[in-house]
Amino acid sequence: MDSEDDMHDAHDVESLDDDFYSGDTPMGSEDGDAEYDFVDNESEDSEDVTSHRQQQSYTILSVSDIRQRQEEDIHRVSTVLSISRVAACVLLRHYKWSVSRVHDEWFADEENVRKVVGLLEKPVEMPNARELPCGICFESYSSNEMTAAACGHPFCSACWRGYVGTAISDGPGCLMLRCPDPSCGVAVGEDMIRMLASDEDKQKYSRYLLRSYIEDNRKTKWCPAPGCEFAVEFVMGSSSYDVTCNCSYSFCWNCTEEAHRPVDCATVAKWILKNCAESENMNWILANSKPCPKCKRPIEKNQGCMHITCTPPCKFEFCWLCLGAWSEHGERTGGFYACNRYEAAKQEGAYDESERRREMAKNSLERYTHYYERWATNQSSRQKALADLHSMQNEKLEKLSDRQSQPESQLKFIIEAWLQIVECRRVLKWTYAYGYYLLENEYAKRQFFEYLQGEAEAGLERLHQCAEKELQVYLEAEAPTKDFNYFRTKLAGLTSVTRNYFENLVRALETGLRDVGPSGNQANANKNTSPKSLLGGKGGKSGKAKVIGTSSRSGDEAWTMATIGLASTAPTRTRGRQTCARCANSTGRFGLCCLLLCD
Amino acid sequence: MASRNLPPRIIKETQRLLSEPAPGISASPSEENMRYFNVMILGPTQSPYEGGVFKLELFLPEEYPMAPPKVRFLTKIYHPNIDKLGRICLDILKDKWSPALQIRTVLLSIQALLSAPNPDDPLSDNIAKHWKTNEAEAVETAKEWTRLYASGA
Ligand SMILES: [Zn+2]
Ligand SMILES: [Zn+2]
Ligand SMILES: [Zn+2]
Ligand SMILES: [Zn+2]
Ligand SMILES: [Zn+2]
Ligand SMILES: [Zn+2]
Repeated sequence: MDSEDDMHDAHDVESLDDDFYSGDTPMGSEDGDAEYDFVDNESEDSEDVTSHRQQQSYTILSVSDIRQRQEEDIHRVSTVLSISRVAACVLLRHYKWSVSRVHDEWFADEENVRKVVGLLEKPVEMPNARELPCGICFESYSSNEMTAAACGHPFCSACWRGYVGTAISDGPGCLMLRCPDPSCGVAVGEDMIRMLASDEDKQKYSRYLLRSYIEDNRKTKWCPAPGCEFAVEFVMGSSSYDVTCNCSYSFCWNCTEEAHRPVDCATVAKWILKNCAESENMNWILANSKPCPKCKRPIEKNQGCMHITCTPPCKFEFCWLCLGAWSEHGERTGGFYACNRYEAAKQEGAYDESERRREMAKNSLERYTHYYERWATNQSSRQKALADLHSMQNEKLEKLSDRQSQPESQLKFIIEAWLQIVECRRVLKWTYAYGYYLLENEYAKRQFFEYLQGEAEAGLERLHQCAEKELQVYLEAEAPTKDFNYFRTKLAGLTSVTRNYFENLVRALETGLRDVGPSGNQANANKNTSPKSLLGGKGGKSGKAKVIGTSSRSGDEAWTMATIGLASTAPTRTRGRQTCARCANSTGRFGLCCLLLCD
Repeated sequence: MASRNLPPRIIKETQRLLSEPAPGISASPSEENMRYFNVMILGPTQSPYEGGVFKLELFLPEEYPMAPPKVRFLTKIYHPNIDKLGRICLDILKDKWSPALQIRTVLLSIQALLSAPNPDDPLSDNIAKHWKTNEAEAVETAKEWTRLYASGA
């Protein structure tokens, strides 16, 4: 099924993982036992995932969870302070649903708290008279037609209903309703609302009460996905703001935009603003069709990965983003993925001022277009992957289980792969906003960033292509396919490798690639900086990749790495293929054989 | 327009405004619309507005008294809580409104606001700044404007 090239591609990712992240996997791997390491790696990974999920920094709450918690809080305060349920509710509302705050304030100065929130210690009777004037309509009524809050200020029932109805239709302020008498501040609680409001208004009121429990609490927020009714409780001080709701929407808890690691909230806001300002110029990018670079017929992008094959008879294979031939993809840049990089057209010769300005304006739009297109394409790629994930879960998995005689429980690796693709498309998308705001003059940083991003792009392409296209063969097979287990190993391996790569990429970008010195500082950078310390986070430990790698990567330093002072330890990009030290196979870009397939 | 569709409360308020006016305040409904009032407030003594006669308009919206009346100065006035268009920054005309308040209480509050300008809760930034940086000079300007625009001529 695979051309030799495809195999190499898979090799590359695995070796890349090893090379970059061996510092992350504290395995006894100096001996370079590749197969053992791989197995070890796998179990390490699954453990990682579980511990990750256990130490989640947030809890998802359904409407009934919220009601239950709210009831419990009200009950607790009511019991501890020996006050009515309604009074407890008024207190909690006022102190933003913090039980401890209510307790603190109450026991520090009950009298003052009562005054502030409008709770009387003893209710006051209405004036004892046969007829009383209503302070709103100025009519007189017999006292049994009058109603009063705990303060005893009488108003007729019609005026009360108008008062309560107006307050509820004015919005959530009705939760803090007070007696209409301007000299009185006594609270009008839920009991009065139940008595006086229409059914519709009662529902609105209880909805406001529920919303208040989430919105007035600093630790909770609603999931911003349209129509979603879940809320999220966040553990303050957690290291990541990313939250994934039960509706599967991921968002940033801090700014409530969609999840945007590794980019910070301020950059996201800037980028979104920029996209709004430029939206008219950019509409064409969102069009889903481009002319085939060879036959010029319009080709529609109906898949997630960027590797496009024109329809027969042309069948030209090209890259959706740069429209270059897929076979040469990367070759022209010395064997690595570079279509993520923006290169401004170099202008030579003398320009007059207006020409230069026009040129600069054109360049700046071109530059933005470059990043925006990649941002937007990864976004739509992600949407496509989400749809594919759902169709996989809802129908295809069953079909595949049937065709390949595999229990569905054995096919989880496919769902894992698609989940990973969805997540990586999101990260990759935001790296383009990150790249756009990287300063032009931070040359070393930019070089290194583009290198990492290019590798991420390439790795994800392989995973996406494997899950999208290679799987197709097994889905359409008439009988169980012999090499399905091979496919399983490959896809699961790519998934794990890509997950590690992206997790480390996110961490590196979040620390602002701060270990990369300016390009003038090569000597220092050479000593202190390695992709391991940059990306592994834990640094220090040297894995087998380095051991194997050193022999094969002495002379041929790629120019970019040399300029940014990473030559000694960077995964060396070599022109052409090398030979794996262990199995004598032709290797990937990093002079390392793919552990996954080398057996 | 007759008073046919007016709630009894508005009729009672109007009668009382006419029969027992508050000192320094007059309010009378317009002939065509009983919800529209022509208002005059005398500048309070010992304020920069002393000696001035200030015209205002007051309108009772359909929702009154559940919603507050709409009030605006027609006479130009130099005051940190009143803007060029005569709009007034006063809490009881907004979120502190209660249906148990009345036209009379609103107008008394506006009169009190003339005696005690509050530059910390301004509607007109320039005037408020003037008031805070050089109160004596701001008061002079207010007096000047009172002479120029509110002399009652
Ligand atoms: Zn009444
Ligand atoms: Zn009261
Ligand atoms: Zn949700
Ligand atoms: Zn954010
Ligand atoms: Zn073609
Ligand atoms: Zn490309």
